[in-house]
Amino acid sequence: MEFSNVLILMQKELRDARRNRWFILYMVAFTTLALALAWLSLAGLGNYGLAGFGRTGASLVNLVLLIVPLMGLTLGALGLASERESGTLLYLLAQPLDPKELLLGKFFGLSAALMAALGVGFGLTGMMIGSFGGLTHLNAFLWLVLLTFLLAISSLSLGFLISAAVQRAATAVGVALFGWLLLVFLGDLGLMGTAVVLRFQAQELLWFSLANPLQLYKTAAILNLQQNLDLLGPAGVFALRTYGARLLPLLIGLLAAWTVVPLLITHQLFTRRGAL
Amino acid sequence: MNQLLTLALLLSGLLGLIAPHSIQAAEKSDLAARLAAARDGDTIEVDGGIHHGPLEINNSITLIGVNWPVIDGGGQGTVLHITAPDVHLEGFVIRNSGDSLDQENSGIAVEAAGTTIVNNRLEETLFGIYLRKAPNSVVADNSISSMDVDVPRRGDPIRVWYSNGVRIENNTIEKGRDVVLWYSEQLQVSGNTVTHGRYGLHFMYCDDAIVENNLLYRNSVGAFMMYSRRITLQNNTIAGNRGPSGYGVGLKDMDDALIENNLFLDNRVGAYLDNSPREVDSIGRFTGNVFGYNDIGVSLLPSVRHNEFVSNNFIENEEQVAIEGGGTMSDNTWSVAGVGNYWSDYAGFDANNDGFGDLPYRSERLFEQLVDNQPAMRIFLYSPAAAAVDFAARAFPLIRPQPKLVDEGPLMSPDIPAGAPPLPAEQNGRLWPLLLLVVMAVGLMSWPWLAPQSPISRRFPKYGKAKATL
Repeated sequence: MEFSNVLILMQKELRDARRNRWFILYMVAFTTLALALAWLSLAGLGNYGLAGFGRTGASLVNLVLLIVPLMGLTLGALGLASERESGTLLYLLAQPLDPKELLLGKFFGLSAALMAALGVGFGLTGMMIGSFGGLTHLNAFLWLVLLTFLLAISSLSLGFLISAAVQRAATAVGVALFGWLLLVFLGDLGLMGTAVVLRFQAQELLWFSLANPLQLYKTAAILNLQQNLDLLGPAGVFALRTYGARLLPLLIGLLAAWTVVPLLITHQLFTRRGAL
Repeated sequence: MNQLLTLALLLSGLLGLIAPHSIQAAEKSDLAARLAAARDGDTIEVDGGIHHGPLEINNSITLIGVNWPVIDGGGQGTVLHITAPDVHLEGFVIRNSGDSLDQENSGIAVEAAGTTIVNNRLEETLFGIYLRKAPNSVVADNSISSMDVDVPRRGDPIRVWYSNGVRIENNTIEKGRDVVLWYSEQLQVSGNTVTHGRYGLHFMYCDDAIVENNLLYRNSVGAFMMYSRRITLQNNTIAGNRGPSGYGVGLKDMDDALIENNLFLDNRVGAYLDNSPREVDSIGRFTGNVFGYNDIGVSLLPSVRHNEFVSNNFIENEEQVAIEGGGTMSDNTWSVAGVGNYWSDYAGFDANNDGFGDLPYRSERLFEQLVDNQPAMRIFLYSPAAAAVDFAARAFPLIRPQPKLVDEGPLMSPDIPAGAPPLPAEQNGRLWPLLLLVVMAVGLMSWPWLAPQSPISRRFPKYGKAKATL
């Protein structure tokens, strides 16, 4: 495997991302919404002189939970499927390239594009929070950006898995949208219902909920913003009591696993199917 | 050494009988000797220097420090004992008490009435100022910090024990354990700043106390009040108290409490009510407070009755009002004569422009009901699914939750009281890392264009041409 090939494909992917209207739409939507949310919460606080970075951060977490998985899943799902449909995948595979290089190049390129989109959104939002004097925890904010990158990459990886598994681009986007619904709403709702009926203990609820990468992100983000998990009730307190300082690395590790494992499966599927 | 000291004491005692009773500041004689030599009504000025404790004041004197003289306990026992009534102590640095919690080693231990302790600094003392049966004393303008050890191993920066009519004013207290005020009536606690301790204020059996203009910030619990009648809590700022209990103010068995014009911000729970009021004919009154940005604005145990909430502002609490363990409340009033509270999540309207919403405010979020019943469900907080549950409950009234409370006259706009002390300013972060983030992001996106010759077309000539023709 040659890394220079991966680099070249990354550049191609970045060019394609700039031409992709979905990508531009997501970037503009995320930046606008993040700015608007931060402005709303800061304007309220500013009127009363009641500071609170935690609440601004929390509203950003809410936004990220809705939009970032959608970005990652749909862009990932289009990643291979659209090129397969338009025939360019066949063309690329005809070049002296290892499929692994192609996959990694596309993945890294789209990851970089996503990070750039989120970087613009978070950077501008952070500067606006700072201009209101509300940026009292710069480190926590930068950690939030980093965690969001991780979430974006793991949902991108899931999107790639969908892309490698289905035939047509339209199907891939459909499946990706369903996956988004599952991760954002249906999974948690199902778990909530089950927990009510079976009266889950705090630790059972914690582990079941952490099967969802979005909950991993949310828990890590709240831990980063609040320095504890009291906000999440008994399950949060249990998590912090049991794992203490190891909790954040554990959550990040699990989120990374949500990136690596789907990517490995994607590689298997992709090498078996090739451009077909 | 001891014999010498005794001799000196005797001598100075004799001298004291003859000498005039105002002793000059320039004199550098041993402070212990001067204290022993003093008589009731004397004024002693001490100019700087380090004096060794433990010392005892057993005459009703005025002791004034100039240029911050230090009394150093040398890490043993209590630094300064005051055993005579009407002593005035001012301008000293008291430091290095012992660290024994069971002996209650203190900076200043007072066991006499009418003591005035003004403008002193207590450093590295286990307990700070300990008033035992010292009624009508004044503790004002002192700054007190305990030892730098784990919170349970620290002492109480101020402890008032069986001392009625004590005034505690304008003290700055940080990193202590609890400010304990027990078995003392008619206390006046005002203008103090208590930060980074365990209990900001802890009252027990303190009837008729007035607590006003204090800042209780980043303690484990702001103020906890138990078994007292007619306490007035007004114009305080109680913020960022987020310990395991994390109550801004906790009331247990408190009768006829008046909680007025306070700011409860960013606590785990703004106000917590347990069996308050206790007596059937008493009323707890909450008027004009701000409960803002707390995890829970007001939390009540299901049996709590006879509280009146009028003209308060409930702003953006994760949960405005919680009933621990679920269920509905009875006999608590959320509006009196058509005047209710401001609720930031009120979705009604005010067609006749009288400042009151035309529809009652109902606290009836299904997700909150789930959480009140099963606290573990709080793990879904901030999750979009939690919002979906509430939306479903509104859209399909089939699963409409029981309202926790109904406010018949919700206010349309908040009215923030002005009297409470401001929050300490926090430093704003630097902006360049964020600017760097944006520049890097833009740089990353334009990387393929910045390359002098597009490497894609060099490596795969056909791909480049295909694009050129597009």
